[in-house]
This record gives sequence, structure tokens and C-alpha cells, in this order.
Amino acid sequence: MQRTRDEIERAEEAWRREVVEPRVERFKIPECPIRFYTPASAGDFDFLEKVGFPGQYPFTAGNHAFEAWRAYAEAGAKLGVRPDYGASSAGRYSGYGTAEDYRDYLRAMQARGSRGGPNVAFDLVTQCGFDSDSPNALGEVGRVGVAIDSYRDFRVIYEAFTGERDIDKVASNFTINAPCAVILAMLAALAEERGIPLAKLRGTPQNDILKEFIARGTYIYPPRESMRLFRDTLVFCRRHLPGMNVNSIGGYHIREAGATRVQDLAFSMANGIAYLQEGVDAGLPIDDFAPKFTFNAFGGSMQVYHEIAFQRAARRMWARIVKERFGASDPHAMMVRQPAGAHIGCTSTTLQRPLNNIARSVIGGMACGMSGGMPAAYPPFDEPLGLGHSQESIQLQLDATRIMIYEAGISDVADPWAGSYFMESLTDEIEGAAQQELARIEGMGGAVGAIENGYMPRAVAQSAYERQKRVEAQEDLVVGVNCFTGENELELSLNRASEELYDPEHLRSAEERQRAKLALLKRERSEAAVSHSLRALERDAKDSDANVMPAIVECVKSEATLQEICDVLRGVFGEAEPVKL
Amino acid sequence: MASDRKVRVLVAKPGLDGHDRGARVIAYGLRDAGFEVIYTGLRQSPEQIAREAIQEDVDAVGLSILSGAHLALTAKVLELLRDQGAQDIPVLVGGLIPERDKDALRKLGVAGVFTAGTPIREVAEFIASRVEAA
Repeated sequence: MQRTRDEIERAEEAWRREVVEPRVERFKIPECPIRFYTPASAGDFDFLEKVGFPGQYPFTAGNHAFEAWRAYAEAGAKLGVRPDYGASSAGRYSGYGTAEDYRDYLRAMQARGSRGGPNVAFDLVTQCGFDSDSPNALGEVGRVGVAIDSYRDFRVIYEAFTGERDIDKVASNFTINAPCAVILAMLAALAEERGIPLAKLRGTPQNDILKEFIARGTYIYPPRESMRLFRDTLVFCRRHLPGMNVNSIGGYHIREAGATRVQDLAFSMANGIAYLQEGVDAGLPIDDFAPKFTFNAFGGSMQVYHEIAFQRAARRMWARIVKERFGASDPHAMMVRQPAGAHIGCTSTTLQRPLNNIARSVIGGMACGMSGGMPAAYPPFDEPLGLGHSQESIQLQLDATRIMIYEAGISDVADPWAGSYFMESLTDEIEGAAQQELARIEGMGGAVGAIENGYMPRAVAQSAYERQKRVEAQEDLVVGVNCFTGENELELSLNRASEELYDPEHLRSAEERQRAKLALLKRERSEAAVSHSLRALERDAKDSDANVMPAIVECVKSEATLQEICDVLRGVFGEAEPVKL
Repeated sequence: MASDRKVRVLVAKPGLDGHDRGARVIAYGLRDAGFEVIYTGLRQSPEQIAREAIQEDVDAVGLSILSGAHLALTAKVLELLRDQGAQDIPVLVGGLIPERDKDALRKLGVAGVFTAGTPIREVAEFIASRVEAA
């Protein structure tokens, strides 16, 4: 028999009086430390409007009836095929040293069974639009990724991708933002050189410059001019590289920089809206380009109930924005296409007693599986110990994921929390708060305005500081950091015997070798061709209606360096000012 | 030193690393602890940092580095301070510093190395004690 809401609310009141309050009194605490949810908590819950079915609008319950990797999960286990993080044709995120070092690393990984395309980490010198011989490059060449100074370097990386692994057969992923146009131009030049039609290229550039101003910091040009470059890459991709994704929008970086969950969601949506608007303003139909938007990930935390609700809210919010505000009709345009689901943040891991991070990442993996992603135990436990993960930690991460899939059956149900009074009310709460924050940003002129006036970067830094204060005041408890730190606690750690995936000698000498190659390039190339192509780029950059991509492709082919190309654009667009406190 | 002047600290992000959560949190925290804090913003060269430290007459410099470039960048900042006779300004390093590099940094002349999980109070007390001792 169906009870009315009134009946439930009356019963709840009585329960509070007769059961909860006496117990709170008995333990002499100020209030009940836990909560209980009833049908009244979820408000006017309309299942079809708020949740719907997996693979159908508003995608709260998931993008698909089941994810692609899930189709063959059991068959794969029997064959020993690993369901890897991301589970796509993209390889593991990597990159170090010179292009030659990285090519050799990729070949070694291929010899060990790696099948994916290049998923390139670039060094900070490249990410900031400098060459290895710039004074700004000191100590950074080849450090957090591979150094790319010119098309020659780019071509060397791809020596590891020929035949069965040619660029029309594997996906290329590039974690690059401010100089994204240059890297895309290099890919186009390579395809042309190999006689492969551009239409056959697949992959994803990060190309999410707005979050660089809010977090992460590898911007070059001011925000508005950066959006012009985004528009040009978007239009170029849609015209010439229809198989490529356009971007990979990251809330993850914003949260890791300190944003709250609600800021993460609101800022990501604001950034996404700004990118969508560029496409619309350039005259592209929303159903043509929105399906090529992807999300890197949103942020995570140890509050896994909230992170599951967050993922549900994010899917619903994006779907409604793309459909209702931008008028899309293709369901693919409305999906948050991302490689992950809920997770703990890298900032949730601790340097203290690092093995504890395995427990943390498994909790995150459970949340990921329950929010529609592969239950990936992310990150590997040695994340806070320094750049690069050991092979032991990667193996543990993969096995934890397998245990969750095959032994625990985490991924046997889509959106297992759907209809939970608690989860539905939490999803509504997070979405509602994010909508309010989004409205505030739109009042500042949207994402670009809220970057120009410093609002978003400062709000993130303030939130990071609030968190630090809560940890120091023991309001937020972190095991092994601000509680259970007595002298009887053991500092558990694990040997990382095979941590050197990257040759440390290569890392040390990368700068020198990269500079020597650059000097050779500058002796061998035609200076006339370089200055001709750079002048043509300058002309196109000054014309705001022109698309700079064809000119950048010509610059790349003339062997102009990455910094020379970026310097021309610096001259026309100016440079972004770093945000102060 | 005279106690009527607030302790001045330069919090700096050398190199190209854009991860400034730690730098900003430390800057806010030291400010709340009563220090005068100057934050450089991202992407400062060692030359800019040494110049600002001397021009602003700071009592300590905190470098925040998470890109793995800490040895090269810190060595350069220390060298520039020494060249300009400012070797008495203590330099602290924070960020993602592998255990094996902590000693290397101290040998270069770094006053203290602080990694994730350090309470801000600890950093503040460290700076205060160094400034008093000077």
C-alpha cells in the first residue's frame, strides 16, 4: 500500500522524538552524528525526468546501456586481455626526454604488449610555447613530458607508429593546450607526408585553455585571444579532421587545485558553455560539433557518496545545457564523454604512510564503478612520492580494478544508487548549487569574464586554503596526517624495485641533446621559407575572421620551431598576466 | 632585528610549473600568521626571484616547485643571491620533492624542505626562528 508523504513525515517526526533524541541524550552529544533519508527527502521525484534509463536523456544513469569495455570483460579476462584504465585505443599517458628517448620508450612498451596510440605528455617548455634553448627552459627540458621543438621531433615520436600502428589505426592523444594548434598542425603535416587522408585521423587533444587560467597554469595568450585559437582548431578539426575529438574539458585540474565540488561542476560547465558558444558563433551546427567534445574528468575526493552524486548531476546538467540551451537533438551531443567516473583525487593521497593510498584508491574505484565508469583504482599508491609511478603500483592498481570487476561484480548494475532517497536528494542538491554558481559566473560574462576579473582562479585558491585550515584544525580528518600519527604507528611502505620506467641518464642529458638538435635544425632549414611562413601566419592572426590553422600547418612544414610560431602569435595576441593573490 | 617590522616573505614559483595550490595556500597561511607575504605569481625566472627578494628586502624566500626541476632552479636562485651578497636570506623549498633530493637541496644551502602535509604553523615557526636567529 502506498503511504502518503504526510504519513511518512509524521512518522519521521515521531521517530526523531522517540528513538533518535533519547539516544543522542544517552551518549551526551550535541546532535545525531548520522542522517537517514526518506521519500520526503527526495522531494517530488519524477524518475523519468530526473534519472531515466542508462543511455537515454538526461543520462543521469549513464551514457550507454552498458559501456563498450563491459561487453567483452569476461571474455577478455579468460584471454588475459587487460581492461586497462581508459580502455580505449589510447595508450598510457607518458612522455619524457627528447623525442628519440620517448620513441624508444614507446617501442619498449610495445614490445611488452602495449597496443594503443601515443598519449603524449609534453614537457612544460613545450606546453608554455618555448623552445629548449630558451632561458625559460632551465631544468625543465624533457622533465614532465617529451620536448617538442619542431616538426622533426614530432615525426621522430611517430617512428614508433607505423604499419599496424599507423596514425589512421591508433588514436593520438595530446595533453596540450596553449600550443594545441601547433601540435594539431604537426599531426596534419605528418598525415600528409605519409599519404594518409586527414579524415582518417583519430584522437583527442586536450585543447582546454580556460581551465589553464583557473588551475594548472600553462597559458600563453590572454583568455579572449586564446578562445580565438580554440575556435580555429575547432573549425579546422570539423572541416578536415572529422574523426578527431575537439577537446578534453577538465574539471579534474580545477578540483585538484583546490576547488570545491560545486565550483568544479559550475566552472567546468561554464568553460564547456564558452567552448560550445565559439562553435555556434563560427556557424557550426551544434549536432555536428558537440559530439566531438570530451571531458578529461571531473575532480574527485574521499567523500565517495558525494562523488557518485556529482557524476550523476554532471551528466544531467551537461545534457540539459546542450539540449535545452543550445538546441541539440543528437543524443551523442548531450553526453559527458569521459574516460573515468567518480574517483578520489590525487590530492586525497598522502605522502605519509603511502600504502594507505591503495585503500583510498579502491574506495574511489568502487565509487567509479557505481557512477558509470570502469571501477579504476586511481591513482597508483605512489602518486605523492614523485613524478612517475612504479611498475608495482601500476600492477596493484590494475589488479584492484580487476578484483572490483570480476570478483566483486561492481560493474554488473548500471547506476545502482538510482532511486535511493539519499542519492537522489544529494544529486539534486549538488546540481542546484552548481546551477547557482554557474548563474553567478554568467553574470560576470561567462567563463572568460570570470577569468579576466580573477574570480575563478581566486575562488579556487581560497577553497584550497579553507581545506588546509580544516585539516590543520582537525575538522577534516586524514589518517596518518592529522590523526593516528602517534609514535606507535608504523610507516608502512613498499619497495619500488622497478620504478625507473624512464632512463634517469636520459632525463639528465635531455636539455643538452635537445639544444644540439635545435642548433642543427636552424643550420639546415631554409630561413627564407621559415620567415615566409611566419609572415603569412602573422597576417592571418591579425585578421580575426581568418583561420590560422592552414598558416600554422605551413609554418610547421617549413620547420619553424614551436616557439617561433608561438612568438608570432604572442606578437599579435599579447601575453596573459599571471594572477596575483 | 627590530620587532616593529613584520617579517617579510617572498613566496615564489620558479620555472614553468603551474601547480600553485601549495604556493597560494602557504601565502595565505603565512599572511594570516602575521607575516607580510609577497607572492610572485607563476613562471618567474631565478633572476626575477633573486631581484625581487633583494629589492623587497625580504627575510626569507619560499620556492614552490612540483615539476621535478627543483635542483636546477634552486641552485640558480641560491647562486644569484650569493652573487649579490644576499646569501643570508634563508631559502625554503616546498613541493613535490623526492626523499633522495632533500639532502641534495640542503647541501646546496637550502634552509628547509617542506613537502605535502606540513602544517603551515610549522613553516611559520621555522621562518620565525630563522629570522630571530639572524
